[in-house]
Amino acid sequence: MTALRDISPDASGRGVGDGAPLVPAAVVGYYDQPLLKRPHWEASVKIYLFLGGIMGCSGLLAMIVGDGDPERARVARNARYTSIVLATVCPPVLISHLGRPERFLNMMRVFKTKSVMNMGVWGLLAFSGVAGAGAVGQLARDGFLPRWMRILGPTWAVNVPLGLLGAFISGYTGVLLSATAIPVWGVGKRHIPAFSLCSGVAGASSLASALLVLQGGSERMQHKLVALERVAATAEFALLQHFRAYAGDFGTPMFAGKQGKRLSTWTMAIGILGATAIEALPVRSKWKSLLSAAMTLTGGYVLRDVLIEAGKDSADDPKAAFRQPE
Amino acid sequence: MPGLGTTFGRGGATTFVQDLENADCILIEGSNFAECHPVAFRFVMKAKERGATIIHVDPRFTRTSAVADIYAPIRSGSDIVFLGALISHVLESGKYFREYVDAFTNADYLVREDFKDTEDLDGIFSGWEAGENLNDSSILNAGTTNSGDASAIDGNKHSAYNRETWAFELEEVPRYDGNGTVKVPKRDPSQQNPRCVINVLKRHFARYTPEMVEDVCGTPREKFFQIAEALTKNSGRERTTAFAYAVGWTQHSVGVQYIRTAAILQTLLGNMGRPGGGIMALRGHANIQGATDIPTLFDLLPGYMPMPAVARKEQTLAEYLGTNTKPTGWWANTPKYFISLLKAWYGEHATAENDFCYDYLPQLTGNHSMMSTTIAMKDDEVEGYFVIGQNPSASGMNGELTSDAFEHLKWMVNIDAYETETASFWKREGTDPTTVATECFYLPSAVVLEKEGTMVNTNRMLQWHDKAIEPPGDTVTDAWIFYTLGKMFKAHYADSTDPKDRPIQHMTWDYEHPDAHERAKGEPSIHRIMKEINGYSVADGTQLKTFTELKDDGSTACGAWIYTGVAPDDTKLMSRNRKADDWVSLEWGFSWPANRRILYNRASADAAGKPWSERKKYIWWDEAQAKWTGVDVPDFPVGKAPNTPAKPGASGMDAHGGASPFMLNLDGQAQLFTAGLLKDGPMPTHYEAVASPVKNALYGQQNNPVAMEWRRSDNAYNGTDNPDYPYVLTSYRVTEMSGIMTRYIPWLAELQPAAFAELDPELAVEKHIRNGDWVTISTALGEIEARALVSGRLQPLRLGKGRRIHQIGIPYNYGTMGHATGDSPSNLIPFVMDPNVSIHEAKSGTCNIRLGRRPTRTRTVVDEAVPQHKPEGQPSLHGAQRDTPGA
Amino acid sequence: MGNGFFTDTTLCIGCKACEVACKQWNQLPSDGYEFTANSYDNTMALGATTWRHVAFVEQPVDEHDPTVNRWLMMSDVCKHCTNAGCLEACPTGAIMRNEFDDVFIQPDICNGCGYCVPSCPFGVVDLIPHQHGIATTFATDGRTNDDAVQSHGGIAGKCTLCYDRQKVGFDPACAKACPTESIQFGDVDELKDRARKRVEQLQARGVAGARLYGVDETTSVGDLNAFFLLTDTPDKYNLPERPVLPSTRQRPGYTSAALAAGALALAGFAIFANGKTE
Ligand SMILES: Nc1nc2c(c(=O)[nH]1)N[C@H]1C(S)=C(S)[C@@H](COP(=O)(O)OP(=O)(O)OC[C@H]3O[C@@H](n4cnc5c(=O)[nH]c(N)nc54)[C@H](O)[C@@H]3O)O[C@H]1N2
Ligand SMILES: Nc1nc2c(c(=O)[nH]1)N[C@H]1C(S)=C(S)[C@@H](COP(=O)(O)OP(=O)(O)OC[C@H]3O[C@@H](n4cnc5c(=O)[nH]c(N)nc54)[C@H](O)[C@@H]3O)O[C@H]1N2
Ligand code: SF4
Ligand code: SF4
Ligand code: SF4
Ligand code: SF4
Ligand code: SF4
Ligand SMILES: [Mo]
Repeated sequence: MTALRDISPDASGRGVGDGAPLVPAAVVGYYDQPLLKRPHWEASVKIYLFLGGIMGCSGLLAMIVGDGDPERARVARNARYTSIVLATVCPPVLISHLGRPERFLNMMRVFKTKSVMNMGVWGLLAFSGVAGAGAVGQLARDGFLPRWMRILGPTWAVNVPLGLLGAFISGYTGVLLSATAIPVWGVGKRHIPAFSLCSGVAGASSLASALLVLQGGSERMQHKLVALERVAATAEFALLQHFRAYAGDFGTPMFAGKQGKRLSTWTMAIGILGATAIEALPVRSKWKSLLSAAMTLTGGYVLRDVLIEAGKDSADDPKAAFRQPE
Repeated sequence: MPGLGTTFGRGGATTFVQDLENADCILIEGSNFAECHPVAFRFVMKAKERGATIIHVDPRFTRTSAVADIYAPIRSGSDIVFLGALISHVLESGKYFREYVDAFTNADYLVREDFKDTEDLDGIFSGWEAGENLNDSSILNAGTTNSGDASAIDGNKHSAYNRETWAFELEEVPRYDGNGTVKVPKRDPSQQNPRCVINVLKRHFARYTPEMVEDVCGTPREKFFQIAEALTKNSGRERTTAFAYAVGWTQHSVGVQYIRTAAILQTLLGNMGRPGGGIMALRGHANIQGATDIPTLFDLLPGYMPMPAVARKEQTLAEYLGTNTKPTGWWANTPKYFISLLKAWYGEHATAENDFCYDYLPQLTGNHSMMSTTIAMKDDEVEGYFVIGQNPSASGMNGELTSDAFEHLKWMVNIDAYETETASFWKREGTDPTTVATECFYLPSAVVLEKEGTMVNTNRMLQWHDKAIEPPGDTVTDAWIFYTLGKMFKAHYADSTDPKDRPIQHMTWDYEHPDAHERAKGEPSIHRIMKEINGYSVADGTQLKTFTELKDDGSTACGAWIYTGVAPDDTKLMSRNRKADDWVSLEWGFSWPANRRILYNRASADAAGKPWSERKKYIWWDEAQAKWTGVDVPDFPVGKAPNTPAKPGASGMDAHGGASPFMLNLDGQAQLFTAGLLKDGPMPTHYEAVASPVKNALYGQQNNPVAMEWRRSDNAYNGTDNPDYPYVLTSYRVTEMSGIMTRYIPWLAELQPAAFAELDPELAVEKHIRNGDWVTISTALGEIEARALVSGRLQPLRLGKGRRIHQIGIPYNYGTMGHATGDSPSNLIPFVMDPNVSIHEAKSGTCNIRLGRRPTRTRTVVDEAVPQHKPEGQPSLHGAQRDTPGA
Repeated sequence: MGNGFFTDTTLCIGCKACEVACKQWNQLPSDGYEFTANSYDNTMALGATTWRHVAFVEQPVDEHDPTVNRWLMMSDVCKHCTNAGCLEACPTGAIMRNEFDDVFIQPDICNGCGYCVPSCPFGVVDLIPHQHGIATTFATDGRTNDDAVQSHGGIAGKCTLCYDRQKVGFDPACAKACPTESIQFGDVDELKDRARKRVEQLQARGVAGARLYGVDETTSVGDLNAFFLLTDTPDKYNLPERPVLPSTRQRPGYTSAALAAGALALAGFAIFANGKTE
């Protein structure tokens, strides 16, 4: 045995040698304790927020582009396939975050307009239904299914509901965050849903353009997609900047420190400005388009990640919780 | 609590907690009422809601202080100065309750001419007899004070007083029946004579001034006056003040005198025996009151009768009754209670011819209290030890000496609900189990919910509880263990012819359980035991209704006279009563004696028997019915008119007049001056604790000159003003923790998960201690570690001569076992014994503190304890010299 | 209408009987044994397995006389809000308002989505770690730890206002255990009247800062069925000065989402509008 058992304090990490001042600084509220509880959401929820956004906006894209001519039809077709693929991926991702996954269906025992999450589930269900129908029709048209099955998902019947539901799906997640007590989310009740949606559209269109490039599809369509992507990304950028100013201290967890750095590097610098710059390069290469798409999508994911993490830090700040944003 | 016993006649709390609600002011001192008695504290809060002033005087600002109207800090170990100054204040200002004092106390008695006060002898009273004071376990301390016994003179090796001069001047008066004269205390109703008790008292406390309070207690003067104002304003005819204390006052080498001081003050204020008044002695463990009534104390028999003692020459029944039967007052009944007790224990074998088997009782040969016995153990004078529901290794003083003493035993039996630090002393830190020869037995015991029985709470109230669940596994009840042992002994000695085995052969032991199932398990019938305790007529076994039915001719048997009436017949058990009204609730439980709730309640009426005031009406004399009536059971002969004259020379209660409420005292009066009843003085005197940061500012005599000490290397003392130990150390409880039971309960353990030490921010900064740091607290005895809790609730005190004193407080509830663990302060506190009740001094000591954890414990105690002789010339008038610390 | 709590902090002696009684009745696990050195508070906050929590606030009140202290004690609990963020947020309807007008989580329905957690403006409700069990049987007779405890980790936990006890006419365990009547249980309206009188009485006695929290509130959360009498500002007790009902942010949220979608759709149509290819 050592003569003097280690003089440092126990597991609680408090005490000797921790450099804390002898007379501690004045505490905020109750021993600097958080007032609010941290959201328990981890990767699965972040991924859902990201994919859900792209899924919904792909539907929206299908509606926007339409099947007016073969060039458009190909884009719309890609978008519909994207929607159905993601619509099959999202639910398992969502369910995996539940404390009691086997009770996922309990979400459907009520139709509760007051609960954004409940609305989201119903929305997801409806969207998947339409996307499914659309996919069946498309498969039939593409000859993977008997021809008669086309009538199960005629484009004229699918595109519009798919677009509207898609808009909802990629929009509600922002509302879901804002409609909590987490200060940084609450103060963003107008911004978050909007820039989430923009980011979704940017993501969906960049994905679509990437697919088109890979298929060696129409350059003209690809340019239009990029144009739409740029519009959405620019709006997203503007909204984020405005949010930063508007949120003030409430915004600190999102715009300062670690999260702030990740946001400005990955989402703003690379995902938006970077992608735009690359697109602007006067070279014609499919790699250019693929790279910019990748950057946009990455920026989109980091945005969701930063949102959730900032929410957790915001919950830890009692000052923000004492006087909560309206 | 002889502090109360010697003043009023009985040791128990004089009131019941529910009545605190009626107080106009409550002084809580020496107790952390809210934290240690939270449920009872309900009634303090109710009083507060009714506008009463709540006062808390404590070294620390506690959860009690938090809801008190006035909080005053005080240095541990200095309360006699504080209370003495209050006494002096009410006497000098004449703000005491004159009519009450004149009627019900011995204020006008003349004290003997040759009595010398501490005033005259610089801190000691007349009659001092120095001893060699090398304490060993053969100190004789057999006097029991609760029964008002004064006859025991310590024929012992240690310093003591010859208390002969602590008495009243006697005068001859004609006997009531005309034939001859009788000696009674001389009185001066005019109270002019300087030797009148009230004047002696005035002089004695004259030097206890507000200035002294500031200098010695560190209590700001304005706080003192605030409190004095509140007490006097709320005492008298119309209003009453209640005092509440617990072990913050008792655990001192002068402990009994703390309570004496409070008793004198409450008497002067005229609050005794009245609603919303009295002294609430808050008892500790759930059944600690019961454990003093039917005592686990070495020097008492059930019902506060003394244990026969060699030194008092009580070889025969006649001798015993001779010394312990009082000529006057209630204790004239001793023979009835004592002989009934012998009948209860030895049944038909106890006859007048054989002195009712008196010689079966052991005779005290010395002080066999816990600490003396532990020392004897360490010195290989004790072979075996039963530890039942106690955890001395953690909660006793000098835990290391205690645990080490266990290693000197041949065997030890531990009966407990949990594995305690005591049960596991052989594997404690720094001990190699293979070196411990003691054979250890552990018997798991049932806890309260797993057995039926009676507990006696702080209201002296017996309450029955049923069994809620079966004890788990091998667990058995304590009753089972002792009932079974008894049967085994009886079987073992059944056909012995050796006279020394007769006590066992003749012991009554028929507690067979009527229920076959329980009988099969070997459980005794608690009801049969209760019947024996209650008492019954030997002839036909009918149970007695009150102790006045007890006889001294062997026709009645009774296990504890004060409980008689709790089981008035086979079908009734008063302790089961659960009918409450919103106040006295006579039909809830059963309070001894005779279900009286406020003791001495005759004093709630004036000398003429009229209530002091309509507002404070309680018990009064009803002319029409010619009896005492009221809301409680009168604590007085019901038919004895207030104007009944005292009959000099008559025996028993006849000697008392109709205006003497304190029936158990010789003269029926409250004793402002106690004639030799206590071993350390007839009036309280401030002495510093054996370990104190300061010299006694009032007298040359530093400590209680008859406190018992063990000066040996394994019981080292810090001494006085020892620069190595500059801070005051005190220990206490926290609400969340009790003993080991709570440490094992996760729901409680998480609330106070670690041993901690409370200290003031100024000291913390000085010692570079941050809140939450590990700190090591040390005394001459050893070191313990704890987490620092730096709080403004503790404050440095400014004493006389600008001396600044820091106090450090440590909860005593911790130990190495359970979920919430930590060092117990018992490893810091040496054995010191108050001379009257052999209590330790856990509440006031000195220590040092430093940042960081202590070294791992290796054996600190040398197996051969080296005696540390004291300097010559007892008692020294210079504390420092007297108190050279041990090795 | 409705049963709730009036917790009068001026009567609290910090004995924590309420905290323990709650854990005992609901068979909640201990939260571990960490010494915090924050006054006498070692559990620090309400949580998934701490449904009553006693806060301790030490305050010097007079810098000239440091012996004059104030030690505030307050037993916190779920507020059972009239407009409950947790209840509105719950997508499964597991959180309901029961017949006693209390906010109750149905343990057999909750699927642990965790949405109620950030939706409580008072930071009360939280998810119970999987390894823990809590009492969920509402049988009061012959109730033992074992039959009461089912493993319910992974769901949300908070004060039930002793729904199971109320159903059989018992007072909540915490209120029952409180020795000083600091926790008063009963009809909320009666409690409110009592509380208003109490505040007047205290102010008359010169108790600084005596005020009600959760009565006659103007916030979107509205009044609280478990309200408090405080003697300092709410933040000292870790309570929000202005709690906001999260659902009030839904309308603006949906609106701006719709606007953004619309705007982008238009932009899209514009971009893809021109010229068919032949
Ligand atoms: N929660 C809980 N309750 C208990 C117990 C327990 O372990 N836990 N134990 C029970 C038992 S066995 C007992 S005996 C009682 C004890 O009941 P109390 O005596 O009320 O409890 P303690 O905490 O030992 O001491 C009371 C106060 O005395 C103060 N004090 C120390 N020295 C002095 C002094 O010299 N003068 C004055 N005026 N005050 C001083 C301490 O700061 C402490 O606040 O509690 C009983 N109740
Ligand atoms: N430093 C310091 N030391 C102190 C004090 C202090 O204030 N300061 N206070 C002193 C005081 S007042 C007291 S009372 C003592 C208390 O000292 P102890 O009585 O030794 O302390 P407890 O831990 O309460 O011990 C009670 C034991 O009884 C066991 N038990 C409970 N129920 C039963 C039962 O039904 N049967 C049996 N056989 N066992 C049972 C429990 O498990 C526990 O181990 O501590 C004293 N020590
Ligand atoms: S532990 Fe028992 S005795 Fe002590 S306060 Fe609580 S109820 Fe009363
Ligand atoms: S306090 Fe929080 S958990 Fe309780 S009802 Fe209100 S919102 Fe729900
Ligand atoms: S965790 Fe349970 S209670 Fe909370 S919102 Fe989800 S389903 Fe409702
Ligand atoms: S009402 Fe019941 S569940 Fe709620 S805190 Fe009190 S005891 Fe716990
Ligand atoms: S039980 Fe009552 S007094 Fe004790 S802490 Fe809880 S609220 Fe306060
Ligand atoms: Mo005790």
